[in-house]
Amino acid sequence: MTTSSETAPVAPARPGLLAADARFAVLCALGIAVFPFLLHPLGGYSTLATQIAIVSIASIGFNLLLGYAGSLSYGHAMFYGGGGYLAAILLLRVSPQHPNLWLCVIGATVGAAILAIVVGAVTVRLYGIYFALLTLAFAQMVYFIVEQAKDWTNGDDGLQALPNALLPMGPWNIDLTTHLPSIDLGPFGNLGELRLWYIFAGICLLLVLMLSRMLTRSQFGEVLGAIRENEQRSTLIGFNASAYRLAAFAISGALTGFSGALRGMFDGSVPVDSLSIDRSGSFVIYTIVGGVQTLFGPVAGTAVIMFLENVLSARTPAWRLIEGLIFVGVIVFLPRGLSTVLKQQRDKSPRGLFVRSLRLSTEEPDPLLKPSGEGHKGGPMSIIETFKLGKLFGRFAAVRDVDFRVDPGELRAVIGPNGAGKTTFFNLLSGTIAPSSGTVNYKGRDVSRTSGTARVHLGIAKAFQTASLYPDQTVRQNCRLAALARVQGSFALQVFRRSMRLDDVDNLAERAMSRLELTGVADTRAGDLSHGDKKRLDIAIALATQPQILLLDEPVAGMSKDEARKTEALIRKLSTEMTVLVIEHDMEMVMGISDSITVLHQGTVLATGTPAEIRDNPRVIEAYLGGHSEAELTHG
Amino acid sequence: MEALFQAMLGGLVLGLIYVAIAVGLTIIFGTLRLVNFAHGAFYAIGAYVGLVIAQHIGVGWAFVAAPIAVALFAVLLDRLVLRSFYDKEPTAQLLVTFGIALVVEETLRLIFGATTQQYRMPEALQGSVTLGPITYPAYRLLFAAGVIVMLALVWLFIERTNYGLIVRAGIRDRIMVQLLGGNIRQASTIVFALGAAIAGLVGAAATPIYSIDPATGFAFLVPSFVVVVVGGLGSFWGAVLGGLLIGELQSLTNLAYAPASNVVIYLCMALVLLLRPQGLLGESEVIRQ
Ligand SMILES: Nc1ncnc2c1ncn2[C@@H]1O[C@H](COP(=O)(O)OP(=O)(O)OP(=O)(O)O)[C@@H](O)[C@H]1O
Ligand SMILES: [Mg+2]
Repeated sequence: MTTSSETAPVAPARPGLLAADARFAVLCALGIAVFPFLLHPLGGYSTLATQIAIVSIASIGFNLLLGYAGSLSYGHAMFYGGGGYLAAILLLRVSPQHPNLWLCVIGATVGAAILAIVVGAVTVRLYGIYFALLTLAFAQMVYFIVEQAKDWTNGDDGLQALPNALLPMGPWNIDLTTHLPSIDLGPFGNLGELRLWYIFAGICLLLVLMLSRMLTRSQFGEVLGAIRENEQRSTLIGFNASAYRLAAFAISGALTGFSGALRGMFDGSVPVDSLSIDRSGSFVIYTIVGGVQTLFGPVAGTAVIMFLENVLSARTPAWRLIEGLIFVGVIVFLPRGLSTVLKQQRDKSPRGLFVRSLRLSTEEPDPLLKPSGEGHKGGPMSIIETFKLGKLFGRFAAVRDVDFRVDPGELRAVIGPNGAGKTTFFNLLSGTIAPSSGTVNYKGRDVSRTSGTARVHLGIAKAFQTASLYPDQTVRQNCRLAALARVQGSFALQVFRRSMRLDDVDNLAERAMSRLELTGVADTRAGDLSHGDKKRLDIAIALATQPQILLLDEPVAGMSKDEARKTEALIRKLSTEMTVLVIEHDMEMVMGISDSITVLHQGTVLATGTPAEIRDNPRVIEAYLGGHSEAELTHG
Repeated sequence: MEALFQAMLGGLVLGLIYVAIAVGLTIIFGTLRLVNFAHGAFYAIGAYVGLVIAQHIGVGWAFVAAPIAVALFAVLLDRLVLRSFYDKEPTAQLLVTFGIALVVEETLRLIFGATTQQYRMPEALQGSVTLGPITYPAYRLLFAAGVIVMLALVWLFIERTNYGLIVRAGIRDRIMVQLLGGNIRQASTIVFALGAAIAGLVGAAATPIYSIDPATGFAFLVPSFVVVVVGGLGSFWGAVLGGLLIGELQSLTNLAYAPASNVVIYLCMALVLLLRPQGLLGESEVIRQ
């Protein structure tokens, strides 16, 4: 990839940034500190406060996956219970004489992360119900294994009466079961009811909250959000969506395992229930009730529901019904959770959108883009070429035996009646789908098996027949995401860097916008744009990946005549700098701008030639007439 | 050998329950594009309605009342809550239907208590039938035959009626369904009610065999989803094949190594998802939903 990301000066931190982080930490610490005393008058006890603090960590982990990666796991108990069992087994087997809490908890967290990577490797390719069920399946398998490995896990009875692990800190071995000094706090109980455990769990929660905040505001979080919003687009601007989702799954699993380990150590027991479907479901409930995609939502939800479970259950048998009604009520009436009632804004504020130096660079275009006489086996090297390329959908051949070749710098139009296979052919070139037969060569190299994401980084970009955008983001942010993929590569675990603080990214994005004359609407939500602007933004996104070859699928379809001519002129200008392939039904445009034309018909190449040759080709005329009546049938 | 036959018959009965629930899930998904985690609740409501009617009025009426009550409940649910979730992403649908399942389960627990209950069939149906080397409870065989007849009727509904046309079109081509326009609202209500009624009827009919407690609905739902995924989301015959496969697999594993009988179906599903993600008889375009 370009090395520019290393050399680019990272913009200096915004003044007050650290102060904001510190303020956040202090506020969280205060909240955690007063929580058990607020719980007391409501009938909660100190053990519950500690358990809530611990389980909140798992909910935060769950929310990172559901809220930010968009995947609903129905198997998080495997990490929670798995973490608990691992910690307990480490405690019992490795150091029974000198039980070390760090060892148990950190070991269990690492174990959970490994489990998450293994499970994630097979699950992240799935979506929706498939993802939920497959994670559930894995959780059931883990449950089964644990239940069967009786020698280690004590089967159905779980591991009970674990020894108390000490927390080594420098020269001290801290016993977390020690009570705090007894101070009467009136209606708020007595300080002495709390053990050191609460302080330890509270610090852990504080750190995890800060981690979660950092993750969601980082470049990593930004890309994750983009993938959630439009995965198709994200892969075709060069982000490796599977890698991002896997990373999110691993982090989520590790946090959940960490929480489970702490819970086991605190309770002194690990029941087999901690691996059950109900456990997995509880994280769903906590997170949704509190507010998915919010920082504090999972904590609030955990506190509310665990409070109900422990306090209300003693008073009414209907507590689970109340819990269920709250859950449904929140989904139907407050899709963003309870915490949004308090704070009328979701955590994902439009940050990272502040504009900085708009140095529109006047660099020369990449020399590779120029049509060059560079010899290759006698003739000039093609930029993209296919041999006997074919695609079957079931038994239907959408593309058949296509031999196709484009020289660098050319503007090639691909035309043909509806259903001729044009879009399918572009998908084969861009790598969105794999060919059934034949090869695609890019600059002399076989890329048939290269993923679409990798092809973007080689320089192939595409604008879709139906514009594929990030509707909730501004135009500028849309372009920046593409530019970011170009600058940072297909995957980067950039969890420390604030999102979008790179000059290269800004420059690329601004340049792409100005080339498509979108600078005027740079701060408009993409979803609010006019049809024509959407189509042009799609091209700008493709352009921001710095392609060497640009595939445009019906760029002016649905535009008014004036708009179409304007867009045509923009495309013509682009074609002086890069190779452009364009599918279009607008014959006036096709004849006006292309260097040459390829006609597809029923999946095969009917003819290739200059506009004049194509216009006079009798077979083309016949196919088109046939195609038109066909089109009228399907559209009429 | 006899045990093997017993297990296979047991697998058939269990599998048919899965098939019935899974067919409902599948036609609802196919027509409404709704992933319904509350489908197990329909089974449970049917079972409890059946239980009450059977104990107080008569077994025959239970088989009439249960599907009707469940269908009414389903239509109400659809109008009040689910309608607004048709266009939402599958994850949102999963969540809201999961929540409804919770509410139903807890309501049943409050009304009927947490204990396992059962009603007894009339004397005439309590006997056993001798089939070659084994004897098998007559009611179970009758149950299996009844479910098969019911599935055949559902199949005829899908293949031969105008509403069925919409179901089939919905599975294959969403756009075409939208073109059919006005009809679709009515059709989707009918399909939703039908899918629910099937589950309710099977719930009532299966209670003498499996008994019922408030958690049974969910306990049947999860394997039924496994069945749908294994068979192929949206495919009628996929649900049939998947249900029988999973039922037999579970029953035979129970015979061979009982503790594994719960996990084997998940193993089976994981394998299918990895090797043939669209399911055994599924059409590949549905998978991304
Ligand atoms: N995923 C798919 N599964 C099955 N068939 C498909 C799939 N994608 C495309 N087809 C079929 O392949 C044929 C070619 O489709 P394609 O979208 O490539 O046509 P096109 O030339 O781009 O048409 P248009 O001008 O209408 O955009 C069509 O008959 C279409 O129905
Ligand atoms: Mg097309």
